[in-house]
Amino acid sequence: MQSSLLHILIPVMAFMLNIVTQVLLYRLIPKTGLLKSIFICFIFVLILLIGTEILFAGSHPLDSNALSIIVSNIIIYFTLGYCYFHFINLGETARRIRILRELYSATDGLSTEEVLSRYNAREIVNKRISRLLHSGQVIEKDGKYYIGQPILLVMAKIIVLLKLLFLGKESEFSD
Amino acid sequence: MNILFWTAILIFLSFSIQLIVWKIHLPKRQTLFLLFIFFTVLVFGLFSIKFFFHSDSILAVNAYSEYLHISLFFISLTLAYMITYSAIEVDSPSLVMIKTIGSAGTNGLEAKFFDKIMNDDLLIMPRLQDLLNDNMAYYKNGKYFITRKGCIFARIFIIYRRLLNASEGG
Repeated sequence: MQSSLLHILIPVMAFMLNIVTQVLLYRLIPKTGLLKSIFICFIFVLILLIGTEILFAGSHPLDSNALSIIVSNIIIYFTLGYCYFHFINLGETARRIRILRELYSATDGLSTEEVLSRYNAREIVNKRISRLLHSGQVIEKDGKYYIGQPILLVMAKIIVLLKLLFLGKESEFSD
Repeated sequence: MNILFWTAILIFLSFSIQLIVWKIHLPKRQTLFLLFIFFTVLVFGLFSIKFFFHSDSILAVNAYSEYLHISLFFISLTLAYMITYSAIEVDSPSLVMIKTIGSAGTNGLEAKFFDKIMNDDLLIMPRLQDLLNDNMAYYKNGKYFITRKGCIFARIFIIYRRLLNASEGG
């Protein structure tokens, strides 16, 4: 089986369906939560995608090329879904986007003090600590923080390793 | 099998070139340079496949739709990598906090500790500088103003968050 234009359209259409269903779900049932709505719609469309691929391949012999197309399309859908998750996450947590939005709303510009009065380190830390406590990644006991679930800690360690590989330092502020 | 094979080869090649370039000299605008490397490899790679692997070869790509499929696969992987790379380029406050709490181990970390180390100079000022470097904002007479490019960027997120009925974020 050779790749056709229809094969290319399948993961793109699936990705678009993922966005539409996620927006609809979150708007209609807001208490689902942003993260959960992304996850539910991603899985729902993934099942549809796999079903479509199987139906589509059914009319052709399942040779290595057909398998390659199916695997490629599933990976494309995963990567596009991953990009969409990060796009929403950027609007949710990215500092640059938040500052940009503050500047956008101020027609006369903002001094450093005005920027900091609208958005500052204290707000950033409080929001993130509250998220980490809520998700169980961090636990608080007697006024002290401890690691709860180690998933984010493992991720942080992997990021440090990648920073050392690419940038040769552990942090953007290291010498 | 060629779509998977060639995409993997092109991604591996781009990744290797990036690593070599980064070891020689770290570019000032890393994401832009990263995109330049990956898309140059894609264009040259597709031409090389067409030129060096004729239809009798087992590794040949025979239809234009297959070239399109490789391109889509490659672009989606590149975008995902680019997004992941931003976490390497810039310190995420959540990951810094987790790492600091993790380093404290079983002794735990005083809740007030973050007030001392996570300040505006560390969390806000570098990001304001990023906006200036990326021409999304400019500084004039002691004030920061948004540029046209910054407006477009901000509008995308504002519209999308309105579409979702989501809060301010940050």
